[in-house]
Amino acid sequence: MAAAAATAAAKGNGGGGGRAGAGDASGTRKKKGPGPLATAYLVIYNVVMTAGWLVIAVGLVRAYLAKGSYHSLYYSIEKPLKFFQTGALLEVGIVPSSVVLTSFQVMSRVFLIWAVTHSVKEVQTEDSVLLFVIAWTITEIIRYSFYTFSLLNHLPYLIKWARYTLFIVLYPMGVSGELLTIYAALPFVRQAGLYSISLPNKYNFSFDYYAFLILIMISYIPLFPQLYFHMIHQRRKVLSHTEEHKKFE
Amino acid sequence: MFRRQKSHASERKKELFSQGATRFTLKNDMRNFHFLSRLVLSAGPLKPTPAVKHSKKIHFEIEILDAQTKKQICILDKVTQSSTIHDVKQKLHKACPKWYPSRVGLQLECGGPFLKDHITIQSIAASSIVTLYVTDLGQQVSWTTVFLAEYTGPLLIYLLFYLRIPCIYDGKESARRLRHPVVHLACFCHCIHYIRYLLETLFVHKVSSGQTTLKNLIMICAFYWGFTSWIAYYINHPLYTPPSFGNRQITVSAINFLMCEAGNHFINVMLSHPNHTGNNACFPSPNYNPFTWMFFLVSCPNYTYEIGSWISFTVMTQTLPVGIFTLLMSIQMSLWAQKKHKIYLRKFNSYIHRKSAMIPFIL
Repeated sequence: MAAAAATAAAKGNGGGGGRAGAGDASGTRKKKGPGPLATAYLVIYNVVMTAGWLVIAVGLVRAYLAKGSYHSLYYSIEKPLKFFQTGALLEVGIVPSSVVLTSFQVMSRVFLIWAVTHSVKEVQTEDSVLLFVIAWTITEIIRYSFYTFSLLNHLPYLIKWARYTLFIVLYPMGVSGELLTIYAALPFVRQAGLYSISLPNKYNFSFDYYAFLILIMISYIPLFPQLYFHMIHQRRKVLSHTEEHKKFE
Repeated sequence: MFRRQKSHASERKKELFSQGATRFTLKNDMRNFHFLSRLVLSAGPLKPTPAVKHSKKIHFEIEILDAQTKKQICILDKVTQSSTIHDVKQKLHKACPKWYPSRVGLQLECGGPFLKDHITIQSIAASSIVTLYVTDLGQQVSWTTVFLAEYTGPLLIYLLFYLRIPCIYDGKESARRLRHPVVHLACFCHCIHYIRYLLETLFVHKVSSGQTTLKNLIMICAFYWGFTSWIAYYINHPLYTPPSFGNRQITVSAINFLMCEAGNHFINVMLSHPNHTGNNACFPSPNYNPFTWMFFLVSCPNYTYEIGSWISFTVMTQTLPVGIFTLLMSIQMSLWAQKKHKIYLRKFNSYIHRKSAMIPFIL
């Protein structure tokens, strides 16, 4: 869901800052592009993030080749993953998508990285972690390169196609990985009483992290289909729009 | 008309004369005159130069477009000057029966505000053809219904928890422990708060006959009912811990709570006075009642007193969920207060400036 929300958030307006409508899903945006300084900052940010996720991808491949198996690859990319995924917090205000959707997506990703995978050490050897890491890596590389090229007004059709097509596979993959990871973490949370407070206490408050995680898992059920079909709809709009453009060229 | 015909005839005569008809004798003149007049008369009914009654009525033509698809739904013509948005909605319903007037929202432009029913077409029309965008707002409920649901829910829910229904709390534990008096006091205060709100909604407030969507109603009720269940659960729990500073903390905050409730009540009564509501409202001025003296310091003292009540309730019960609820309510109310304050600043510039919106000297 974090993966899907990312792509959904970004596709909400279909383009990096500066493009006045070609391939823009919402169509009616007549935003003036950001000034040259802001554009430079955004380009640098997107390039850095693309590079970061490429580092993670390369790290995964190297670790796989070195170990010979795909288990427990999380440890080889733990640090860059945490760094670059948390760094995505910076994009909440500056990316050309709705703030609500972007912040929702970034928060859910950061939650999964820190509050589940980092906190519950036993989960880090699970294969489901690899599943969502791969999904996120591919999605983010495409998304940030999409933004970079959009800002430079030089968007190759391949990148746009990839962004609006690969989610069909990557989104369910990412969601399954996330759900399986949370599910795997549950018994350990219950056992250790992680992040939970119980009564009685001075402030008359209680929090059960176990129940909270279950609630999060349940919340995927209404949100996942909505985001997924929203993206399919966007895909139809954007890619058919580009087809028409090509016809007239 | 007769004169005109005559003048026409004489003009033609003159023309004929000028064309060299000077040979005619007087007799011939008369004959020619008759001949001419017959000619003129037989040429068909002269179109009367319209002595037009310039009608002062300008008719508007309203083009209705769907706000989402931008397609034209219909065109309403012969809309008079004095028609209002309400009339337009009725006409639209007659023309296209699927658009019910109570569910329709009309906008001048796609992102703009929805036009209120009492606005006349004349005031918004730039020319004689007006384009309006229509949206289906969904099932509507009146604000009174919303308020009643919003306040009755917490009242009943809290009592459910207070009575310690066995399915919520463990039966044996509930029976065993004696409840600290603050729990009873909290229930009393909570009930007073919501009963007062209900009575004010029914008898004091002149709520604008506005409506809101069903979705809004559900979201508001979910928020209030959800939070009330959460706080009632902890306060009435068998393992509830009374406040750290004991009776002093309880009595001081209880007195504070009652004072804030009284203040809120008096302010609401004052605000519902016809002078202070509606479009021609004037800023309320403090009177002999000490609770209204808050108007000297802030422009929305009703919110001030409400936040005061909730803070006292938090301190009285020393329960974190109540604190969280208070925080969220304060944020929401400060947004409302800022909006209202801005409206006041625009209207009553002179003596509002030194006041703050909600909390004296801050915010």
